[in-house]
Amino acid sequence: MAGLEAGSPLPQAAQAELLELCEVQFAHLEKLQNELLLSEPDLCDSPQEQIQNRLMVTEAELKKRQTEEPKLLAENPDVLFHAGKEEMLKLCSQLETVLSCCEAKRDKLRETKELEQKWLEEKVQVLKAVKTHVEQLQKEKENVSALSMLQDIKEKIQKMKAYQETLMECLGDILEKHIPLPQVEPEPSRRKKKSVECEITPEVVSLSEVLEALMNKALQSPHDPYVIVDNTFWPPYVEMLLRYGIAVRHQENNFKIRLGAFF
Amino acid sequence: MSRLNPFAKLPGLNAASVLLVENEEHFQQSLAEALVKETSVTVNVRLAKSFPLPVENDESRPRIDLVVFIINLTSELSFQSAEASLKYLEPGYFLGKVCFMVSNARSSSVPAERLDAVRRLAASLHCPLLFAEDQTQQGVTNAAERLLTILKVAAGFVPFTTSLCLSNLTRSTLPPDIDQPSFD
Repeated sequence: MAGLEAGSPLPQAAQAELLELCEVQFAHLEKLQNELLLSEPDLCDSPQEQIQNRLMVTEAELKKRQTEEPKLLAENPDVLFHAGKEEMLKLCSQLETVLSCCEAKRDKLRETKELEQKWLEEKVQVLKAVKTHVEQLQKEKENVSALSMLQDIKEKIQKMKAYQETLMECLGDILEKHIPLPQVEPEPSRRKKKSVECEITPEVVSLSEVLEALMNKALQSPHDPYVIVDNTFWPPYVEMLLRYGIAVRHQENNFKIRLGAFF
Repeated sequence: MSRLNPFAKLPGLNAASVLLVENEEHFQQSLAEALVKETSVTVNVRLAKSFPLPVENDESRPRIDLVVFIINLTSELSFQSAEASLKYLEPGYFLGKVCFMVSNARSSSVPAERLDAVRRLAASLHCPLLFAEDQTQQGVTNAAERLLTILKVAAGFVPFTTSLCLSNLTRSTLPPDIDQPSFD
């Protein structure tokens, strides 16, 4: 039942005509209502029947729509004018809402598109980089043969050996210069020291030899890298090595030491 | 068992009646207040906890144009009472005069199966499923606005649109992966 429009009042004739139309419609409605009440209620409890019911009703509506012919709402132009104006205003506001909605959607899509494009660019760059890398590796594989690889390795071994030689020489020089063998003091005045040093048997080895022994033992028998400390090792040397962590005492036997972990 | 009949009475002039059914009777109040603020039509809001409706009101009750089942997802009872109430409605109602409104769908304590079950129910009855936020005033106003659009169509205020038409366009459908576990 469409409501009466508010706004400027309709002229008398128009109002009368509208009221009459309303009465006619209402009478029609009442008639239909009575018919409905008299008709049997349809009990469709299963979803199957429900769907069939829906289909029937939709078809009936469709048929009605198709056979219906458009007719004027009323004869009176005032009524038509008012009704038309209202409808136009409503339509305008609805279209405005639709417009703003579409604009918002479009902006959102634009943003998404930009993000996706950026992502795509990044991925393309990654692909390029990977391709060049693959090409490089393939080239290398072609160029390299077993012989050249062998030669490369031999060269590397030579270099390593030379490096090790230089390192050992350096070590030997440093030890000679800064930590020489303890000499027997020829001064007779320092009796105490002499007596101490007299205990030093000439079999005391230099620090370089101690280190050499430790290193050799560690490399040759990694399962048992312990060297026994006997009186060929000058105690202060041993003490120094232990204190700086270069050598580590065996857990049970205080006379065994090994090279400490340096990596 | 007396069912609610959609066409048993004559409609009121320039009026639309809506029945809000909610087990907790909590969201109904605020929604009703927001609904009656509509000025272009007289909105009649009736509140109910569940069906069957009390018989003594049968005479004074106007023709109900739209029945809204409000289901609070945080309670299982809400859903069950809504389901049980469905059989008290004439089948004529399911042609667009019934709507489901779900609140608290975002709450983390809600098991996913309940929402799925509500979805299945709405899809099987071909009724629209609305999600509402009942804690804020804005949420209530939004929900009321959406209900009003459906109500106006159900009461016949929109020319050339019947409620069946609208429900065919807005009915909720099941997402195709509803049976698969979700990534929660």
